[in-house]
Amino acid sequence: MRPTALLLALGLVAAACSGGGDDDGGGGAAGDEDTDAEEGTPTPGGRVVYGLEAETIDGWCLPEAQLAIGGIQVASAIYDTLTRPNAEGEYEPWLAESVEPNDDFTQWTITIREGITFHDGSELTAEVVKNNLDAYRGQYPPRQPQLFIFTFFNIESVEVVDPLTVQVNTVEPWVAFDAYLYGDGRVGMMAQAQLDDAENCATNLIGTGPFVLENWTPNQSFVASKNPNYWATDAEGNQLPYLDEIEYRPIVEVAQRQNALVSGEINAMHTSDPETIAELRDRAEAGEIGAYETTDFGEVGYVMLNVSQPPFDNILARQAVAHSYDFEEFNAILGAGILTQATGPFAPGSVGHLEDTGFPTYDPEEAERLVQEYEAETGRPLSFTYTTTDAQATVEQGQFLQQKAAEVGIEVDLVTVDQSTQIDLAINGEFEAIGWRNHPGGDPDRQFVWWESAGGDPPNPINFGRFDDQEIDQLLNQGRVTADEAEREQIYEDLNRRFAEQVYNVWISYSIWIVATAPDVHGVPGEGPTGPEPFPGLSTVGHQPEYMWVEQ
Amino acid sequence: MILRRLAHLIAVLFFVTLFVAMLTNLLPGDPVNSIAGFAPEEQKEAVRADLGLDDPVYVQYGRWVTNFATGDLGNYYSVTGGRPVMDRVRDSLPVSLQLIVEAQVLALVFAIPLGVVTAYRAGSRFDKWANAGAFGGLAVPNFALALVLAYYVGVVLGWLPVSGYVAPSEDLGEHLRRMALPAISLAVGQIAAYMRLLRSDMIATLQEDYITMAKSKGISPARVLWRHALRPSSLTLLTVAGLNVGVLIGGAVIVEVIFSLPGMGTLLFEAIQARQFVALQSLVAIIAIGYVLINFLVDVLYGVLDPRIRHGRA
Repeated sequence: MRPTALLLALGLVAAACSGGGDDDGGGGAAGDEDTDAEEGTPTPGGRVVYGLEAETIDGWCLPEAQLAIGGIQVASAIYDTLTRPNAEGEYEPWLAESVEPNDDFTQWTITIREGITFHDGSELTAEVVKNNLDAYRGQYPPRQPQLFIFTFFNIESVEVVDPLTVQVNTVEPWVAFDAYLYGDGRVGMMAQAQLDDAENCATNLIGTGPFVLENWTPNQSFVASKNPNYWATDAEGNQLPYLDEIEYRPIVEVAQRQNALVSGEINAMHTSDPETIAELRDRAEAGEIGAYETTDFGEVGYVMLNVSQPPFDNILARQAVAHSYDFEEFNAILGAGILTQATGPFAPGSVGHLEDTGFPTYDPEEAERLVQEYEAETGRPLSFTYTTTDAQATVEQGQFLQQKAAEVGIEVDLVTVDQSTQIDLAINGEFEAIGWRNHPGGDPDRQFVWWESAGGDPPNPINFGRFDDQEIDQLLNQGRVTADEAEREQIYEDLNRRFAEQVYNVWISYSIWIVATAPDVHGVPGEGPTGPEPFPGLSTVGHQPEYMWVEQ
Repeated sequence: MILRRLAHLIAVLFFVTLFVAMLTNLLPGDPVNSIAGFAPEEQKEAVRADLGLDDPVYVQYGRWVTNFATGDLGNYYSVTGGRPVMDRVRDSLPVSLQLIVEAQVLALVFAIPLGVVTAYRAGSRFDKWANAGAFGGLAVPNFALALVLAYYVGVVLGWLPVSGYVAPSEDLGEHLRRMALPAISLAVGQIAAYMRLLRSDMIATLQEDYITMAKSKGISPARVLWRHALRPSSLTLLTVAGLNVGVLIGGAVIVEVIFSLPGMGTLLFEAIQARQFVALQSLVAIIAIGYVLINFLVDVLYGVLDPRIRHGRA
């Protein structure tokens, strides 16, 4: 991002509400019903050149890195995570042989696989895993993580039990800790040499993953060759990875990325741009390319409201804006007609997802009434500033919001800033409404850090909307300690409804991601950690490159 | 003259870099939040101290100038550590120079013959068509042309690659193939401008007495045009070609991003996006130095091209 480009924080893409969703609400091949089984048997060898939406200019010193989807895609070639999600979004051991909690979920025992070596020949031991986990939580001095400190704050200590066993003690019971060990593909295990590399941690990439870094020229290419000693096999027992080499090329301009794919310069790419997805769907239907797309476990695009100050400290103002937003028109004009309306933060597939949360729908008359009520109550007209990034798509979305709000008597001042400034303004709370995209699926407890009350003890500096809601805090805490699946489902559905009721954000659409490939490239999204069925999500998570293969 | 020009160069650099320093300090928000937005406050303070952001602008500027003069262009700062801007410039500068030189050569190769012929045949049908084409070329923004060319030439016709870079030392043929579309995108507007300039200067030159004299001596029209009229008619073209390096640099920022070329434009774009102020100042200074140096060379070339200037100065 991107353009690329893009300054992106962990789990956060402040690219404004440009997300989308596919119309079937689930993952699958676009254009036809091909599956890998129908595509044939994977053959080893070959090379894939993969067009990324942005470069990861700060590199891959994972505890400190700020990885968006392009960066995660590259990281998954070099590093393995201790767990991975399966087809249902549950987390299973991957680099670990087992990840087991005690009865009350205050202690997690991680047993790692024996005989695994890093690309530099060093062994994966419990000590290295402990050092990695300590690095992520800010307890390994050479490394200086940022957001991971917040996400792992519930870890009390990490102990080495024996050469292959690590014990993690938590402050409070933590049912979803295994999801955090995956961290949307960001919590890879680095070799000790990389962890301790003060100068070149970001470029001296040493993992246990399927590919070994050959060379990286920023903004040009990242080339990685097959790891001949990779430990994993596919569900049939075949050695992974299939490819001999993979090259990632950042091509920021999305039309050019598609051009490069169609002209054969690259043979795989990803995007979440609705116009491009619509075009790629047509090409897939015509058999020109292969494509896999999904909204499952996706992010949500939304207008984030700052509820700590006028006008959005008043629920009437929040409801009025929500009722003024005509999603159908937005989708037709700016979403290529392919987006799915979001009514809450949890995308299809995620625990807590609801088709209808009770979130206010488009109703201009009701919006007008609320505006009048707000004005009568406060004695001032309803107006606000909407801040968005300076990309054409997000500016158009801002203009749409401005126009629809004006139709019900709300004055919107549109301010465009670069992405860094936008994140800066969010951190400092210097906004009234801001275009945002975040909250990818997986376990909903992963959203704890974003929603715990801003004014809590200690204060939560990354609750950017700055809401203090005891009911949400209570639900978040219940979700964190509740193991029963049905109960958890209920908790997060209640959380979803609470968001709808309070209108802390104006939800717009779920992001849709597509991976398009040349017709002879297969293996997207790959397989699950313990079986052939893969995790269907692509949002921020990407897919596993070791399963990609090229017809020989 | 050289001393005067050097003074000019230093003055331009001073004002440009000072302006950039002031402008970046006027931007809203805290650059530390761009670099380490989610870091604990102590870590942010350490970053702020490292960058000297609490110092007055003139102190920050003075520090940067001192470093720049000794070849230290500063660092791309992140919590992962600083990486020297020089490392990135070393890779990126040649790419941009190649693009600009290739675009400029392409523009002149087409513009000079077109300018000469349209001047010689002023008012002819060819002249009118060429002029109409020139207006069209001037009217099309280079980024729009880039996208159209990429689609039709790269995808539909499949003649040229639409992205990526290969160094000439690695494979000259492939380098030229990959640079063709970006260079054409930049060159089309220049061709039109140069052709129009040369045409009008040539028309004036062709009415000079010495041209009439040359013709009356029986010198062939081609020799008169290329040998006697072109050189004195090239001064404005040369000046504009020098000045247009700035336009090409501006265009290169967009064109490099579109065609995924890892040049200075991409680097500049990246520095602006990530608010890497020190890097941004250094990059702008390098571009400004290049710009002023090229125009300095243009001044020197005047004398070579036009004996009247050389003799007048003597």
